[in-house]
Amino acid sequence: MMKMKRILFNIAAATVLFQLASCKKDEFLNPVPTNQISDLSAFDSELRIEGQVKALYATIKNAGLYGGRLQVFNDIRGVDFVNERTNVVTGFDVYNYGPANSSGNSVEAVWSRAYYAINLANVFLAGMDSKGESVVGATKANAYRAEARLVRALCYHAMVNLYARPFWDGNGSKPGLPLRLTPNTGSANFDMARNTVAEVYTQILNDLNFAETNLPLTNANATQNVIRAHKNTAIAFKVRVLLGMRRYADVITEANKLVPATAPFVAPTGVRHALNAAFNTTFTNYTTVESILSMPFYSNEAPGTQNQLGFYYRHDSQAGGGAEYSVNPAGVFANAGWKAGDARRAQILTAASKPWLNKYTTAAPYTDWAPVLRYPEVLLSLAEAITRSTNTVDARAIALLNAVRGRSDASTVFVAGDFANADALADAIMIERRIEFLGEGLAGFDNTRLGLPLPAKPGVIAVPSTGQNYIWPIPASELQLNALMTDN
Amino acid sequence: MRKIALACMCLCWSIMALAQGKTVTGKVTDSKDGTGLPGVTVAVSGGAGTKTEIGGAYSVTVPANAKSLTFSFVGYETVTLSIPANGVLNVALAVAENKLDEVVVVGYGTQKRKDITGNIASVAGQEVANRPVQSFEQALGGRAAGVQISIPNGVLNNPPVIRVRGTNSISLSSQPLIVIDGVPVFSGDASGTDASGNALASINPNDIESIDISKDAAASAIYGSRAANGVIFVTTKRGKTGKAKVSLDSWVGFSKVFGLPNILNAQQYTDYKNEALQNQGTFNANTNAFYLTNGPDGKPINTNWYDYVYRTGIQHSHTVNVSGANEATRYYFSAGVTDQSGIIKRNDFRRISMLGNFDTKVGKMLTIGGKIQYSNELNEAAASSGSIPGAAFATAGLGRVPLITAPNVAPFNNDGTYNVSGQFIGVMNNRVGQVGFNNPAIALDQNRSNSENNRFLGNMFAELRPLSGLAIRTQYSVDYLNTENEIYLSPQSGEGFGSNGSATSSFANRKNWVWTTTAQYDFKVSSAHNFSVLGGVEQQRITAKSFGLNRIQVNDPNFTNIQGGWATPNTAGLGIGESYLVSEFGRLNYNFDKKYFISANIRRDGASQLGSDRKYGTFWGVSAGWEIANENFWATSKLSSIFSSMKLRGSYGRVGNIAGLGDFASLSTFGSGLYGQTGTLVFNQVGNNLLGWETSNKLDIGLNFGFLNDRITAELSYYNNDVDGLILNVPAPPSAGMPSSVPTNVGTMYNRGIEMAVNAQVIRKKNFSWSSSFNFNFNENEVTSLAPGLNRVLSSTSGLETVNITVPGSPVGSLFVTRTNGVDPATGRRIFINSQGREVFYQFRAASGFNFEYADGTRAPNVSSADAVVYKNTNPRFVGGWDNTFNFGNFSLNTLFTYQAGFYVYWGTYAGLRDQRFWNNSTDVLRRWQKPGDQTDMPKPYFGDNVSNGSAFPLDVNVFKGDFIKLRTAQLSYNLPQSVLGKAKISSARFYVSGNNLLILTKYPGPDPEVSSNGTGSTNQGVDRNSVGNARTITLGVNIGF
Repeated sequence: MMKMKRILFNIAAATVLFQLASCKKDEFLNPVPTNQISDLSAFDSELRIEGQVKALYATIKNAGLYGGRLQVFNDIRGVDFVNERTNVVTGFDVYNYGPANSSGNSVEAVWSRAYYAINLANVFLAGMDSKGESVVGATKANAYRAEARLVRALCYHAMVNLYARPFWDGNGSKPGLPLRLTPNTGSANFDMARNTVAEVYTQILNDLNFAETNLPLTNANATQNVIRAHKNTAIAFKVRVLLGMRRYADVITEANKLVPATAPFVAPTGVRHALNAAFNTTFTNYTTVESILSMPFYSNEAPGTQNQLGFYYRHDSQAGGGAEYSVNPAGVFANAGWKAGDARRAQILTAASKPWLNKYTTAAPYTDWAPVLRYPEVLLSLAEAITRSTNTVDARAIALLNAVRGRSDASTVFVAGDFANADALADAIMIERRIEFLGEGLAGFDNTRLGLPLPAKPGVIAVPSTGQNYIWPIPASELQLNALMTDN
Repeated sequence: MRKIALACMCLCWSIMALAQGKTVTGKVTDSKDGTGLPGVTVAVSGGAGTKTEIGGAYSVTVPANAKSLTFSFVGYETVTLSIPANGVLNVALAVAENKLDEVVVVGYGTQKRKDITGNIASVAGQEVANRPVQSFEQALGGRAAGVQISIPNGVLNNPPVIRVRGTNSISLSSQPLIVIDGVPVFSGDASGTDASGNALASINPNDIESIDISKDAAASAIYGSRAANGVIFVTTKRGKTGKAKVSLDSWVGFSKVFGLPNILNAQQYTDYKNEALQNQGTFNANTNAFYLTNGPDGKPINTNWYDYVYRTGIQHSHTVNVSGANEATRYYFSAGVTDQSGIIKRNDFRRISMLGNFDTKVGKMLTIGGKIQYSNELNEAAASSGSIPGAAFATAGLGRVPLITAPNVAPFNNDGTYNVSGQFIGVMNNRVGQVGFNNPAIALDQNRSNSENNRFLGNMFAELRPLSGLAIRTQYSVDYLNTENEIYLSPQSGEGFGSNGSATSSFANRKNWVWTTTAQYDFKVSSAHNFSVLGGVEQQRITAKSFGLNRIQVNDPNFTNIQGGWATPNTAGLGIGESYLVSEFGRLNYNFDKKYFISANIRRDGASQLGSDRKYGTFWGVSAGWEIANENFWATSKLSSIFSSMKLRGSYGRVGNIAGLGDFASLSTFGSGLYGQTGTLVFNQVGNNLLGWETSNKLDIGLNFGFLNDRITAELSYYNNDVDGLILNVPAPPSAGMPSSVPTNVGTMYNRGIEMAVNAQVIRKKNFSWSSSFNFNFNENEVTSLAPGLNRVLSSTSGLETVNITVPGSPVGSLFVTRTNGVDPATGRRIFINSQGREVFYQFRAASGFNFEYADGTRAPNVSSADAVVYKNTNPRFVGGWDNTFNFGNFSLNTLFTYQAGFYVYWGTYAGLRDQRFWNNSTDVLRRWQKPGDQTDMPKPYFGDNVSNGSAFPLDVNVFKGDFIKLRTAQLSYNLPQSVLGKAKISSARFYVSGNNLLILTKYPGPDPEVSSNGTGSTNQGVDRNSVGNARTITLGVNIGF
């Protein structure tokens, strides 16, 4: 009996000791997630470095930026769409020109997404300096840096157009955005005041110039030429940025790198950007040379809920259409010069006795690529810059306009006599932009850079260029958490 | 020692025998059923006595001068009665309900309530059994002092909000640790669909023996790092000595929603919306106007959408168990099934559960035993209820759909087909673009959003008692919870329209093992010094994996699951996690002569979630008690004639919290996705290598006392929980571009309060008794600091509306709304008060003038949530319950009132009910402003106006006092008398009818102030946003024992 007792006691003691000394304790206490990569090894290989570059594009593609929502927000700050759903989640407040500081789907979402991408770029640039360059070598490192800086420029540009007064107002002296250029990877004091609009533009141009210098002339294939930046991408963006600053001479300088003096208009170096023969090709074959930058979508890489361009603009009699916005029958749709036979009219369908944009035609999972910048924009920006800077009815400007119009409507050929003066030509170019880029997110940008009022439209009164709500407010969360931030 | 006592006794007997005596005879019976009680001790006060025989008869010889006899019996009330002249004294003893002799579960053991120096509230299993609930804690409300239970809404199996002495965290969970039979188990919502799936619903409430809730450091510090929110110990039933007992419990219930808002009918809606269009200046009879439509009966359609969403729910539940025990072996086996349909159509809950508890002695020293519990729960829904966390603004949320869909359209066209146009309901004769979101009839017919849990809870233990007083025990336990989520959205329904149908299935596998080894030694030094020492080690590891598939674009409408034919295969619900806790702990209990009690706990925990240098933490609690009534001076003092017992106790300790912290929260990581079909690497989490525990210091001082031989007992406590080291997910300004907020050990908060619990046997007559218990908790919460430079933390409701704010100097999660000052009688405009305190008049249509104007007509800056103020507290300051049981003969009536007071609720739904888009409105809008001079609280309607009434940003006009008193349960039961039972060969039979939520007294205008649209969140309480109502239930049941 006594023996039994001792054996049992020993077993019990052994149990306790075994448990105390459990060998897996340290392994269990320091788990390593198997679906993540540690920050300590994120720059260890070219695969990881390039993965981070691609992540920058993926970040501006997703959740509220260049993958669709940013285009929608800019479109509905124009006159050519009518809100059908009164749903704040899909931009009703933006459409009304009155989103609140706290508007989670617009004011907060664009800002936080853009700055998230900016920080990713900053984290990447710092990591390249400390480690990445030694892994991939200086040339490749600079090419990757160039992509990161281009994405950063795109983010600042998206924001400076929504959250700050246009450049023309005080020549960039108005409050812009906090320029964040260093990585944030842990707790710190993040208070930062707004730089001026001019400082933001200077940074955007610095980044784009660096990108132009260091990006390759072309990428590996047609797809990569559309979804990742190359030299001409940076130049084309500079055209857009400089146009927003009304630096027309510089627009001409940059655009001339991409546009020969006379037709045929084909980029002379790098990726040979040109117009497709048929307008609609661009929206069915996403990897043509007309697309300078697009955000790609695939069935397993689909836009999130309520981010899809097709969902916003198609009528719900079309598969996948959410009928969020119809085309305003009183907008450019009513322009008499936009003829019925124009190929771009074919992208407008009538349903429930209203016109609807049918540019983005895939149903769920919505694999239409979101256009960010197309070659015709460079042509029209150049035409506009020539017209506005020379204040003449310039033949090259007309030729550029005709290139865009004539592709979709061969029956219309503008001649100098069609325009009483330079303003009339500029107006025609603006009409062309509205037609050509309907649903591609240029309307808001075009209104504010020119100081035009945000136009009156069904149920909404116009906002003059001096109005407080001409631009978006600063997000409430930024005002609350950044002590140096000021509202618009 | 023993010999001396025996000798004394013999001496006494002989003395007594010598004395002149008289004989008293009689019978002792059970007051309830009149049966004779054998073995009852019958004695002269302070003297010797005898025991009753079988049948309850006794005969005792007492000194001639003896005036009274005392009758005592385990489990019954002790009574002292004077001896009648005839020497015949019959007594009916009542079952003891005084709580002091109970055994209370503490961590890693049990203690007698008398010996406890910590603060523990106990609830008997029968209080939560046979209730129309899915999980036991839903029935705990009002039962325990200091424990707030709030049922969020009428969605079946939605985890209730549990707060033990207030909200004790900001970024982490404030829900207590749940320990079932010694095992910390999974709790919270396990479902990944629109159906709620509270993991605790795996436990059949009828299998519960007792629930003990430890609230202070002394009681909970043995759970160290997880004790900050209190610990709820659940003990399941085990066999009791005696013959095998079989019992059957069955009930059936019927439930209905209550308190739904009154909304406009078809005619009112049509007229009102047209008026709003006229006011807006956009009315056009041909292109922009509302019209009635005739239905199949030729009369105008007037749809009550509530009828299409709500129903009378029917529930039934059956449990059968067998239990028994002999000297060596105890066993309890049960099987249960319940099938419950909720008040929302297609919201159902089914559970089958089996439990076996057994233990047996192997030889003299060793006991082995274990438990096996398996359960399967089906949580089913067709569509979003809009009522679970994150779903408040779901387009198809069933809480909101009946409120906003136009009553002048029907779910079906006159030819019987669905009224649908694209994804939304068709407009019928209305000449506007939209009159509702999804047609709920389609989703309720065709969609499903189900979640099925399979759960296994089991343990094996061995306990060795090699020496008297020494117990060494090791227990290995597992808790496996597998969840299968299955969602199907028909291409016809609004939910599935955009994707041309969608099917998603995902599977989550969670494993939890706990291995605990303890040694406890109880010993005495001389007769007065009693020691109990416990030491133990424990490890717990949880691993979780989940994966799934989402498919859209159905090939054929007959395919309704992922196995069918679809266009896409995409992933869904991928996840992986693991956590580990390794601990050593100890406890010392000491008492001197049952007068002075001292207890100390210590626990050292290492947790995998924390920063590499901060894994380990030490927690402790000390307490002391003084049983004043056992002092000699007390016995002789006058106080002893008033108080029958009196105990002073106090405790202090330091405990921690990590509940709700991410498994890899301390690590900075990069995740991977796709861009252009190739892999990406993206910085997705900012860790904190210095992340340590959330800590709090808990002080508790209490006084327990009884009157009238403890017929009335009371417990009074004061507590101060000083949360001196919160883990705060410190928000960075969005421009910092951080992928996540950094969990940081900063911030402080306290909960202070008073608790009182009174139990009284008010009336104890043979045929009538009344027992009553009342509890009360006053709690004051205040956040005292956040992170340096951080003066506010905002918390959103479903990511779309921010109405809660946490700021130093106010209670956690206060309401944050923009102030208003009524409606301008001259113009019918809403008057806001902006951040400068100035009145701003708002008009949605600004044909002339501005949308926002000062009184003088000059333009005012836009008012928005930027003008909001910290407005009202959402934490109930007063919480409690009042429980009464009346027995008269074989009838018994039990009523439980619960109350919460001193808090406000944001009824966001009411903003929607006055939204001037196509949404239907509350009948309150009928008193809208119409002409100058109208004094009203309803602004002039402009079609499209979503600002004036609080849809665009939250307003004070939608904040209401939440105080309520509820008749939570009222139950009338009847016990079949013994005479009938004998013939039927059953030992007991009880029939009852009961009602849940029969009565509610409140000024809250919404359906129910006991509500939470944000589930159990710590900082976003007090929000009622588009949630479905609560249920009122009648149940009929029977309990039979064989």
